[in-house]
Amino acid sequence: MKLPVDDSTNLGFQIAPMIDVVFVIMLFFMVMAGAVKTERELLTTLPGTAESSTGDLPDEQIISISESGEVLLNDEPIDSPTSSDLPQLVGALSRLKQSSDNAHSTMLVTIASDENAKYSRAVDVLDACAAAHVSNVTFTVSEVE
Amino acid sequence: MAGGGGSAESGEPEFQVAPMIDVLLVILVFFMMITSAQVLKVDQTIKLPVAKHGEKKPEDVSEGYINVAWIGGKKVVKFEDSKNPIKPEDLIPILRARVAKDKKYRVVIRASREMPAGQVSELMDICGQAGLSDVSFAAINRD
Repeated sequence: MKLPVDDSTNLGFQIAPMIDVVFVIMLFFMVMAGAVKTERELLTTLPGTAESSTGDLPDEQIISISESGEVLLNDEPIDSPTSSDLPQLVGALSRLKQSSDNAHSTMLVTIASDENAKYSRAVDVLDACAAAHVSNVTFTVSEVE
Repeated sequence: MAGGGGSAESGEPEFQVAPMIDVLLVILVFFMMITSAQVLKVDQTIKLPVAKHGEKKPEDVSEGYINVAWIGGKKVVKFEDSKNPIKPEDLIPILRARVAKDKKYRVVIRASREMPAGQVSELMDICGQAGLSDVSFAAINRD
């Protein structure tokens, strides 16, 4: 069925609203691009499986996590229990990694967490290791005596 | 693609449906690609911890996921896309079979941030018993 055409109605293509829509979509993507959550991975090896690539004894550093969230690097408290970025730990690990590389030895980090410590705290420490570019990281849990 | 609109008789450009549909389809395909690539395919009961310096997921590696939610002070373990919880011990034969097929098989533990570290360690022990050494922890880049 042919509909009657009203000559007075302007159905011509309007470029301005089209550009408006395109700009709104572009703006949406630009804003959303910064807020997109992506899944990341923190690599570890299971205890007892880490190997030294040079065949020498690895340069082992031990990071302990207490139940309250306190972090200790080789039994020395470092950073505050509430800090999730752990800047002092990142700095200390970076320096230790640098000295290990200079000595051509492999740096191995063992994270020994209290079994009742929050898992998110262990991930904070693993993240600090990733920030310091330490690749040989082992995660263990020390049982409460 | 449709050509420019406009009737030769009036000289007035008319609204063309075809190019509009073209544009909408392109936008739709774009949305579909973005959502499939970026949306977190994680169980909504699991609140992943935040790690800004984590690595991106490797593309061409054979890997399995252990999803661990912390509900009412108890851990609920699910393997990959399964909707049914599984006992941690039952994972050993499954993982062992996967390792037998592919020596480079790896496991990613997607554990909720509230759970105690000891509970995650038990799953790592399970992975060790299955002959796995490459275990990663899943996290998100921002809260």
